[in-house]
Amino acid sequence: MKWAYKPMNSNINVYAARLQDVRFSYDQGHSWVLDGVDLDIRQGERLCLIGLNGSGKSTLAGLISGLSAPDAGTVELLGTRVFDNNGAHADNYRTAREGIGALFQNPADQIITTKVGEDVAFGPENLAFDADDIDRHVYSALDAVEMLEQIDQNPTYMSGGQQQRVTIAGTIAMSTRMIVLDEPTAMLDHQAQRDVLAVLDHLQSQGVTIVQVTHKPKELRNADRILRLKSGQLQSVDLAKAVQDLSSTSDTSDAKVADSSKIPVLGIRPLEVDPFCHIDKTKKPEEAKEPADMPRATPVHKASGQPIISLKHVSFRYPSADFDTLHDCSMSVLPGESVAIMGRNGTGKSTLTKLIAGLVKPTDGEIEVAGLDLRDLSRRDKIMLRTRVGLVMQQPEHQLFEQTVRQDVSYGPLNQGFTASEADKRASNAMKLLGITDLADRSPFSLSGGQQRLAAIAGVIACNPRILILDEPTAGLDATANECIFNLIRSLQAQGVTIIMVTHSMNQAHHIADRIISLDTEQTATEDNGQETVQANGDMDANGSNHLHIFKTSELKRTGIMTRLDPRVKLVVFLMLTLMMFLVNQPAELLLAAVGTFLITAFSGLKAVELFRSLRGFLILFFVIGIFNMFFVNTGPTLLTLWGLKVTRDGLGLAALYTSRFSLAVLLGIVLLKTTTPTALTDAFASLASPLRRFGLHTQEMALVMSLALRFLPTLANETRSITQAQAARGGSIETGSPMRRLKALAATLIPVFAAALRHSDNLSLALDARCYEEGIHRTHWHAMHVTGKDLIAVALSAAYLTLLLTLKIGLIPMPSL
Amino acid sequence: MSDIFGTQKSDGDIPTNNLDDDTAAKTSDSSRSTSNQMMKTTTRTVRDKTQSAHSTGVGDHGRWSTQRIAVYALFSAVAMAASYISISLIPGYTWLTYDPSGIICMIAGFAFGPSAAVIVSVLCWVPHIFTDMSGILGALVAVVVSLAMSVPSAYIYSRDRTRHGALIGIVVSSIIMLAAAIGCNLLITPVYTGWSEAQVLAIIVPALLPFNIVKLIINGVVTFLVYKPISNLLNR
Repeated sequence: MKWAYKPMNSNINVYAARLQDVRFSYDQGHSWVLDGVDLDIRQGERLCLIGLNGSGKSTLAGLISGLSAPDAGTVELLGTRVFDNNGAHADNYRTAREGIGALFQNPADQIITTKVGEDVAFGPENLAFDADDIDRHVYSALDAVEMLEQIDQNPTYMSGGQQQRVTIAGTIAMSTRMIVLDEPTAMLDHQAQRDVLAVLDHLQSQGVTIVQVTHKPKELRNADRILRLKSGQLQSVDLAKAVQDLSSTSDTSDAKVADSSKIPVLGIRPLEVDPFCHIDKTKKPEEAKEPADMPRATPVHKASGQPIISLKHVSFRYPSADFDTLHDCSMSVLPGESVAIMGRNGTGKSTLTKLIAGLVKPTDGEIEVAGLDLRDLSRRDKIMLRTRVGLVMQQPEHQLFEQTVRQDVSYGPLNQGFTASEADKRASNAMKLLGITDLADRSPFSLSGGQQRLAAIAGVIACNPRILILDEPTAGLDATANECIFNLIRSLQAQGVTIIMVTHSMNQAHHIADRIISLDTEQTATEDNGQETVQANGDMDANGSNHLHIFKTSELKRTGIMTRLDPRVKLVVFLMLTLMMFLVNQPAELLLAAVGTFLITAFSGLKAVELFRSLRGFLILFFVIGIFNMFFVNTGPTLLTLWGLKVTRDGLGLAALYTSRFSLAVLLGIVLLKTTTPTALTDAFASLASPLRRFGLHTQEMALVMSLALRFLPTLANETRSITQAQAARGGSIETGSPMRRLKALAATLIPVFAAALRHSDNLSLALDARCYEEGIHRTHWHAMHVTGKDLIAVALSAAYLTLLLTLKIGLIPMPSL
Repeated sequence: MSDIFGTQKSDGDIPTNNLDDDTAAKTSDSSRSTSNQMMKTTTRTVRDKTQSAHSTGVGDHGRWSTQRIAVYALFSAVAMAASYISISLIPGYTWLTYDPSGIICMIAGFAFGPSAAVIVSVLCWVPHIFTDMSGILGALVAVVVSLAMSVPSAYIYSRDRTRHGALIGIVVSSIIMLAAAIGCNLLITPVYTGWSEAQVLAIIVPALLPFNIVKLIINGVVTFLVYKPISNLLNR
């Protein structure tokens, strides 16, 4: 790894960054986020930045990474003066950026392509390294983050921790001398946090300058210096003070049992962890609810009576998955009880919350919530359930859509059929409970992240649920916002609301819950630590549409000849073959097309089972269309009559012909997609379209847009589903109600989806900047495309096929007609 | 930050939230036309931070900024995701399926101008070439229909950024889309089904017309409901 961190050759550069009297304002000087910041960062130093939400840490990180410029002051990065009294110096910024890596909170937004190796190569390609250099850099960088084995996998479907390691590799492959990280572990579970920190420790030992924004005490451990940003100014703080600052009783993620000795906890009795979701089928769920009857530290409401939530041997599996996300889970919760649900990422906690809220149906088992059997809900029962169960999903702020906070909070009550004034009253109450009354008339999109979270939670509370489910409600929030949420939960508990809360923090669980249900069982744990990489907030496998799975191939079968063809040649040949299918309309031609297609399939190295699985959905569709066709075409002799409908020979022949034709064309498409990565396809498109550059078309950029779109397609599809579910939980479902109400529900879904798209695009554009992408730069390619002998053979074969088909068509070889 | 149309901060006379400014519509004709002219010249720069106060100057004017690339990519991804939703509206006619991607193309056009509508409409259907049974021809028809809906509305709206302009744009493009959709269906249906011309003409009234009218009503109403809130998001 020595090559990556070669020391600077000039002696002026003892500093990686120097900021003098830097000022930064987002509102043209009305208020200053940074107000006279002086900061010297030495080469090889590891610096941690702390501060409350909204204190300007990210702004400062952006300045240090050279992605934005201040309003005033002087900035020197890696020995280059990039900003002074004369403003920003673009060329200097460009130079400095090449040596600076920037990483942000959400790793998924910084991943550019659908293959780990290609993603890591993106930066070096932009810096125009030659192919051998890129190769070396990609392999050593992946080795450094211990992701070399995954080089051919698709990062979209990896866990957050793995994704963040891929983005780090993408940065160090550019020979970065300084890395600026903005809360790189905010979205990760404990194991993934440890992995990422280990990588940073390694880089530190290699002499890389590290600037890290963090909320977590344990990340300060190896820092050379800790700085706190407060009222636009930097203060130096020592480790003990910083740890004290960051820790609070409602700390979100670091309050593990081991750490809790440091944190003042007031007389909380130890809770028994209740491993409910076990495989033991003999044990009845009723036997296990005993801890609920034990007295609480502060008994505000005595839980009693019949269970309000009851799950019996519930399993859930996404349609396209081959394992249960939740397996044989049994539990019951009494009215007024508070239960914490814990477990590692990927153990099905979020799925469990959606099952209880009736948003997804169990694959197996029985669920009863508030007296309703969730396996078979009538439309009326569904509406009833929505009024009784409130669900605060992960990052609920992503479902905000109205013009003002008040309108957004009233959305649920209005959907429940309350009058405008009653809905407004409920909204006001909910906002009061969360302490956000003063935000009522502001646009939810103008609020800080923490305020948005509170507004979104108010939108659920306004529905007056008897059961409130919260999925990691405090993740990513600072201590103040956490306190608001805890106050809310306490007052709801006092009103006898049943609380189910998913959390990673044992400390929180102790504070809130009567008992803890742990989903960590042997069965789920094994799926968690291996190659099975499940996204933190659900399962990418469940994209809803069975067409999307075709893009999921990350590891291509290396055996078939098809994978080794030049993608440009392959693209042209396949398009031509598919188009020629439309010429086929005689049995002999169909036979020829079938033989040709099956030969291609045989050479693709793909398994027949796999192909059939991809084709199955289409075959059903073709069958339906075929039947329809059969009855529609009434010429020719009648073969039989069914329920008064004639089936003629022509109709049958046409149905058979068109069904076969479609199947063959789709089969070709599947072979192409299964043997070519989306990146290769878009590169091929770009290369083929490159002559159009002369007419002013941005072909390279269009290709990048296309490949980024494909990269973000599954992410957005997933988020769209979450938003749809969240709005449905507030009573705004596209599936029910009058046409106008459905259209409104569609709008209430689309606005947050666009907000998500814009959020991703803001992060993505920063990531593109950080990886030194610019339009029109000279880029090199890690794997250049070459036309080889194989490609020529492929062209020759398809030409032969075309000739044969045309010969048949012209009728040179006489054939009996249909 | 500058607004999506890249209006520089120095253009203080233009309200930041210039998308659909009803008050502007009520002012005198002369001031409106100058305002529109300025809109026209600035429509090209998308959400361009390169012109804001905190620009590093690296992505200079006139080229595609990373912001533009990213926002086009994400809009295309939303459109793609939407295009894979398929709801059959007319019983029996399984290939006449509704998907909300048209709404996204129209929003892209409203927000970033006709060229964005073209890019999102085209890119959104490219994957369908290989994943759909209708293949390249089907994708081509979808692109034409999508362009017919999004480009005229984007153009009209770029000339008259008011609620009135949005409405006119939606209505005009709906008519163009209806004609384009029926035309394309007449051309393409025989290729897929082998029906005679008369058979295809026979399904216009029972299937093609109602399907496309329902489609344009959904697209038009929803676009009208959401374009303003989304433009506010962009202008933040």
